[in-house]
Amino acid sequence: MADTRTPVIELAGIGKTYVSGDVQTPVLFDVGFRIYPGEFVAIVGGSGSGKTTLLNIMGLLDRPSTGKVMVEGREVSNLDEQGRAEVRRDRLGFIFQFHYLLPEFTVIENALMPCRMKGPKYEAAEEPRMRALLDLVGLGEKLRNRPSQLSGGQQQRVAVVRSLANNPALVLADEPTGNLDSRSGRIVFDLMKSLSRESGIAFVMVTHDDDFALEADRVIRIRDGRIESPGTPRPAPAEAT
Amino acid sequence: MKLSYFTLSVALRHLRYGVGQSLLTIGVVAISVLLIVYLRTTIGGSQVRIVQNVAGAIPHIIVEPAERTPIGAWNLPGNAPDTLFVGEASSLPRAQDKIEDWKQWVEAFGKDPQFTVVSPVVAGNVFLFRGARRQAVRMAAVVPEIHDAIVDIEVDLLEGNFKRLPPGEVAIGFKLARKFGIRLRDKLRLVGPGDRTLTVTVGGIYSTGAGALDDDQLFLNLRDGQSLLELGSAISLIGLRIDDLFQAEAVATALRSRVPFKVRSWITDNPSVFFTIDSQNQTINLVLISTIIAAGFGIASVLILSVTTKFREIGILKAMGATPPEIQTIFVIEGFLLAVVGCLVGIPAGIALLKALASIRVPGPDGRIRELFLIEIDPGLLAFAAGVAITVGVIAAFFPARRAAKIDPMSVIRGS
Ligand SMILES: Nc1ncnc2c1ncn2[C@@H]1O[C@H](COP(=O)(O)OP(=O)(O)OP(=O)(O)O)[C@@H](O)[C@H]1O
Ligand SMILES: [Mg+2]
Repeated sequence: MADTRTPVIELAGIGKTYVSGDVQTPVLFDVGFRIYPGEFVAIVGGSGSGKTTLLNIMGLLDRPSTGKVMVEGREVSNLDEQGRAEVRRDRLGFIFQFHYLLPEFTVIENALMPCRMKGPKYEAAEEPRMRALLDLVGLGEKLRNRPSQLSGGQQQRVAVVRSLANNPALVLADEPTGNLDSRSGRIVFDLMKSLSRESGIAFVMVTHDDDFALEADRVIRIRDGRIESPGTPRPAPAEAT
Repeated sequence: MKLSYFTLSVALRHLRYGVGQSLLTIGVVAISVLLIVYLRTTIGGSQVRIVQNVAGAIPHIIVEPAERTPIGAWNLPGNAPDTLFVGEASSLPRAQDKIEDWKQWVEAFGKDPQFTVVSPVVAGNVFLFRGARRQAVRMAAVVPEIHDAIVDIEVDLLEGNFKRLPPGEVAIGFKLARKFGIRLRDKLRLVGPGDRTLTVTVGGIYSTGAGALDDDQLFLNLRDGQSLLELGSAISLIGLRIDDLFQAEAVATALRSRVPFKVRSWITDNPSVFFTIDSQNQTINLVLISTIIAAGFGIASVLILSVTTKFREIGILKAMGATPPEIQTIFVIEGFLLAVVGCLVGIPAGIALLKALASIRVPGPDGRIRELFLIEIDPGLLAFAAGVAITVGVIAAFFPARRAAKIDPMSVIRGS
């Protein structure tokens, strides 16, 4: 059955070979899949299989050696650095294994940082939403605190909220729970999942945790740089029209 | 460069958060700005004083008749070698040193705005007779009203007049007066080189503090000088003053090509003074350049440290969509602001220090109370110091900023 929706991201024939001097390290081979709005996708695979490489290409942080990347139907693989930064700023959210909040800014300011890049008006407009989200994740009391006054799990929750600040089409998360104890990891994972449900934003998450993978809408398995199983896209909510 | 709410607010926050380092850097900039303002003003003042002592009572530029030096026949070009000259060598009569058409030139110089004073002068040596005693003195016959702007004697008068010295009267220094026991209204006899005699009344006695003026100089009206030296209606030189006396040689050089006269500046007449001042200036400039460079390194090192410690945050900002120009701008703003705040501290501090120094008064060797420092605060110098500090701040910030802009977010994400 042909899916008529526009994917938030589409990869086609992606290959990646790292070149350093004479040494060529092929990492990805002919990777292709589509992610649709609102999907919650887990990428799993062994260590060194190419998950981070793949996520960096999806996040326009790295360029593929071959193949095309389309974000919301627009080809972005040939954009220059400035153009890719703009797509990241406007359409993508990121969560990393380490939170990397800015120590000089408060919790609420950190959450709003992607908005700040888009200007004071945008930041002011988004502030109530970000406050509500931080409240939702249990940090309503900590808005004016500095990141250093938060626990690791709390910091990562701020990072999750921050990834939604610019109203992205797609959030990319590379082992967001990898650095947390299992309880904090669970809280962060549940948070991402519920935010994805409510916002309709697509999430792609690299994880080593099989439990989390099982709870995802869809699992993309990768082995030695090839897609082993692309999973099944969640069907379009056809009745919801 | 991309000045925006985002770049400005991040830069400000960096500075505020690292306030200790910021203050240290601001202090370095402030001190170097203060040094520029302080040293240039005090040294500049003392230089003006030195020059005033040397060149204070003379024109900055003198325009006088071109010398016509006679050439001996044996020096003429085209002589066959081994030519024998037979004859008697004697000094040839020199063309008289005078300017006939001086009125036209005084008028022309008067129209040139760079000359603040244009004073026609008859200058020469005369004998002063008083009873049986006589002394050779230097005579300057001038238009006292005009010439006072050069010699500034009116303020140093002990008795009588200078600016309104009438014809037939003479103004002399107090040392000369003392030596001859001369008092105001006494009569003196002056004899010129052609034995022309003139009897004058002492109309003014002054004390300038400059030996040459107080000792063996006297001033007359132009007419009296012309008759004493038998110049008719001619004069011997035109004295000029300009605003910046250190530019005298440059102005003289420019003038030389425009007038059929010999043009001298006080600088060519007093080369050692000028070289002393020049070398002093070079020493100060070296000190100032060094402090400015030190301030630049201060700013650069603080920012290099900042970029290194914020490596991850910068990478994340870039991943979230901050562009390289934005990241670069953040750090250039930081350098700029450190320099600006340094100026805001250093310049008022410098002004306060100078004002304090300017109020110090001590008795001089002649017993008169005067300021220890000649201090004139020059807004141009303040602007210059600020401009230099800010330029250096921005340049110093530029390289760390560029490094920050080049940070690859991937290397941060990979957790290296
Ligand atoms: N800059 C690089 N230059 C050369 N080889 C690289 C580079 N970055 C990654 N690789 C290699 O590419 C392969 C895939 O790396 P990647 O980080 O994508 O794996 P991963 O699936 O994320 O592994 P992990 O689960 O350990 O995070 C690895 O063999 C790695 O050594
Ligand atoms: Mg990885």
